[in-house]
Amino acid sequence: MRTTEKLFAQLRTHKDTRWLTVWVAGLLCIVLWDLAFLNRPAFMKIIQGFWNTMAIAFLVTLCTLLFAWVATNLLHTLTMRTMRVPYLTLSFALNLLRSVPQIVGVLLFYVLVASLVQKGSLSSSAAIAPFMAVGMGLFIFLELTDLMRERIDHFRRLDFYNAMRVCGVQEKRIVNFDILWKNSRVHILNKLIAVFGMAVFLQCSVDFIISVGLSNNVNAVNLPSTLGSLLAKIDSKQDILALGYTLTHPSYAAHLPFTHLLGLTVAFLIVFTLLCMHHIANGFAERHRL
Amino acid sequence: MKARVTEHLLSFVLVALVLICALFILKSRQDTARTASLSGIRDYTSLSFMDYDDPFQRALLRDVMDIYFPGSHDRNDSLVTAALRYRQEAFNRSVQTSDMREELSAAKAVQLFGMYLKFLFVYVLVMAISWYGVQTLAVWRFVAERREPIPGRRVRQYFLRALSIGASLVLFSPAYVIAYSVRTEFNTDTLFFMVLLGVVSNGLLMTYANKFHAFLTAESRKGYVETALAKNLRNTWDTRTGISLAAIVRPLKRFDGHVFNHIFMNARVQYFSTIKEQASFLITGLIIIEMALNIHGHFSYEMLRQLLYGNYDIVIAIILGIFFTVKATEMAADYLAHKEWLKYENH
Repeated sequence: MRTTEKLFAQLRTHKDTRWLTVWVAGLLCIVLWDLAFLNRPAFMKIIQGFWNTMAIAFLVTLCTLLFAWVATNLLHTLTMRTMRVPYLTLSFALNLLRSVPQIVGVLLFYVLVASLVQKGSLSSSAAIAPFMAVGMGLFIFLELTDLMRERIDHFRRLDFYNAMRVCGVQEKRIVNFDILWKNSRVHILNKLIAVFGMAVFLQCSVDFIISVGLSNNVNAVNLPSTLGSLLAKIDSKQDILALGYTLTHPSYAAHLPFTHLLGLTVAFLIVFTLLCMHHIANGFAERHRL
Repeated sequence: MKARVTEHLLSFVLVALVLICALFILKSRQDTARTASLSGIRDYTSLSFMDYDDPFQRALLRDVMDIYFPGSHDRNDSLVTAALRYRQEAFNRSVQTSDMREELSAAKAVQLFGMYLKFLFVYVLVMAISWYGVQTLAVWRFVAERREPIPGRRVRQYFLRALSIGASLVLFSPAYVIAYSVRTEFNTDTLFFMVLLGVVSNGLLMTYANKFHAFLTAESRKGYVETALAKNLRNTWDTRTGISLAAIVRPLKRFDGHVFNHIFMNARVQYFSTIKEQASFLITGLIIIEMALNIHGHFSYEMLRQLLYGNYDIVIAIILGIFFTVKATEMAADYLAHKEWLKYENH
């Protein structure tokens, strides 16, 4: 009884937990509804598309963390050793990468992936997915790098940093363990939640664009099916178009959740996931007063 | 500031150089490939006096070759056959890809420039509207949170909450979902619709309004607010004596005599630092809109089309244009932030 009360209290006070619950509950409702009213092959496609999208977004999050950690350490080491030229070169290169809009970078990376697929260098979905995640991570990790560097700069201004240095603690231990792990874990996690949402958005958008615009060149069958590519299929597009029809023919709304389920489910999953991720990240930041 | 401008200009120049070099390398590779495919038969593929469609003249060419190069009939015959096949294939290719193959000629560059101007127009317009929208939404939410709830209006509050969740779902929808949802009833290929989508879709407005709201909240907790209150600045939040709706929706926001004026101004300084990020995200959004909706005659759609047809020289030129836009925005944002900081830091 107490545990249930505690849980409800947590849901009331913690916005992130509440939205995480809303997300999971929403997904479960969709699954149950689709099980009842959507045909089996379409349902399996949605499950696979959703799973692939989430898996790639998770991989992107991991890649982002890895790249950001490496870049932060590299930049910090170069600063501490007063290696001005390599530092400026690396900062310049990173700023250059920052100036490439994420969608352009990811799209060009996809073209590269497609050419590798056509040459036969990449064949299975299991090999393509991590490759795509690396490409997307490359254009997202700078946000996390900025955050990590801000945190290091902030702590370097405090006494404990100098005190630890005087005590003989190694610089890399102070940065990686004491600052980033012990004192910035929550900040990093909050950013990673936002990165996950961003990855879902980019993944779906690029897959939609590729499936709509580049389908002649890129053999979509070889790329893992995601929510974006599912939405670009003609059946799904027809379902979404039915929404517009409902605007002028409101009585048609009753047919939507039964006869246009594939497209509506895919669109809803994308929008609902993006909304929930945004609120989870915000709630997490509010709870930890970031 | 000087160092920043230098860095921006350097990256301008470097990227332009790299991409122009890539353009030349691409062109020379294409030329080399063309020359390689013509090796041995180049002299026989475009004889000005010859009508290649005439069977008599083709037979005559074979005879002339045998007279000029006696004793190598088979070689002469295969050369002429190869030349004729090459011409046929070139013709077929030109017919099949007549609407695909394009090169970065002067005329194409002018056409691209027109598209680029259109892109810039939409970008600047959406940026201005979202700049206003972000601040207005954040201020409205901040002020609304501080207003006393009117008792006995629970139903209205629930209705507003449901409305806000519905609006959030729309604001977080990717542009292509919204566009396809209304495509049967509205023409989604217009400039107006593109601007509208740029502002309300992809979560742009919500994300940055929340950021601005977070800046406002953080500022409101700072010590100077208490000092301002002790100095008797206005601190009421209702519409009559506090902050009116007109003040919230005004494009150039000022809340004279109210403590919120200082909170707002300090939050706005921090918002300047996120402008670069917002601009980059906005460009990403606009590219997605143009590409996903296949809006013909637009800059990003043209990039997708040229990517599809393998006209990489044009793709490089378009990427260069987009890069310049981002860099110009970054420079403008840095300048604005620097100017604003000068006001407060007394440099």
